[in-house]
Amino acid sequence: MNPKRCAACKYLRRRCPKDCIFAPYFPPNDPAKFACIHRIYGAGNVSKMLQQLPDQTRAEAVESLCFEAKCRVDDPVYGCVGIIHLLQTQIQNAQNELAKTQAEVAVAQTKLSQTQNSDF
Amino acid sequence: MAGPGSSPCASCKLLRRRCAKDCIFAPYFPPDDPHKFAIVHKVFGASNVSKMLQELPVHQRADAVNSLVFEANARVRDPVYGCVGAISYLQNQVSQLQMQLAVAQAEILCIQMQNEPTLQSHHQVLELDQDHKALLLQNNNNNNNNNNNINNCSNNNNNNNNNNLGYAMSSGQFNSNFASPSSIMQMQMQMQMQDPLKQESLWT
Repeated sequence: MNPKRCAACKYLRRRCPKDCIFAPYFPPNDPAKFACIHRIYGAGNVSKMLQQLPDQTRAEAVESLCFEAKCRVDDPVYGCVGIIHLLQTQIQNAQNELAKTQAEVAVAQTKLSQTQNSDF
Repeated sequence: MAGPGSSPCASCKLLRRRCAKDCIFAPYFPPDDPHKFAIVHKVFGASNVSKMLQELPVHQRADAVNSLVFEANARVRDPVYGCVGAISYLQNQVSQLQMQLAVAQAEILCIQMQNEPTLQSHHQVLELDQDHKALLLQNNNNNNNNNNNINNCSNNNNNNNNNNLGYAMSSGQFNSNFASPSSIMQMQMQMQMQDPLKQESLWT
């Protein structure tokens, strides 16, 4: 038995085997991380998802799952989809502002060339 | 069963159980769209979804289900990054647009500065003698220095945006006070991820 159980096995109150799929990603010093992800996805689903991924991508997958789980805990209705909507709104506003500013640039350039022509 | 003559909801069909009259899933997972519940069940699990819905007031459950379906779809399409991939892509777009905006605003300032000294120098040439033409050269030098400062400012903006992106992604600190459900219901999103993703409506 692994003397230091990972956060997942501690939470689930079970032995932490040597080849525990959660152990590399849920160290015992951060119990909240697994608690959050378990609350939204469930340990079984997370385990299945990780098993379907190659080793080198699992860490990233865990981080993204944690992020989405945290978003869902913070906003139980929209989760991280709310963030996506916010970003899309920001993009729309920035595009409008950019179009307006580029129009102002065109006007200013026209005025400048008119002024320069009148000098000659 | 849900009632005489009515078929069980998609969730009870998949879970192979009786669909009670007060089935929590029934209003949101009609029997004609089995894929919707299947994908949510695959990612979140039926019991987790049930718990989440029970914790919400009834008028918010439809939106919650739709956002869960969206997230589940994103996770199935991209098992490593899910929705986070889309967030990262959109944040990049925001940064690029802010950069372009800063450049355009700097351009306006440059043009305005070129305009004003030109007007002033026009009058000065008419009224001043050769001794005062040194002032014109000094004004031009000042304009060049100001342009360099603006470029540095826009570069700093870019660095700040990139730092904010990294911080936000690593710490998961996002403000989540968002628009009304009705505006989200009408939203269409175009996502281009590493694997080509078709345009899809957020709530279908």
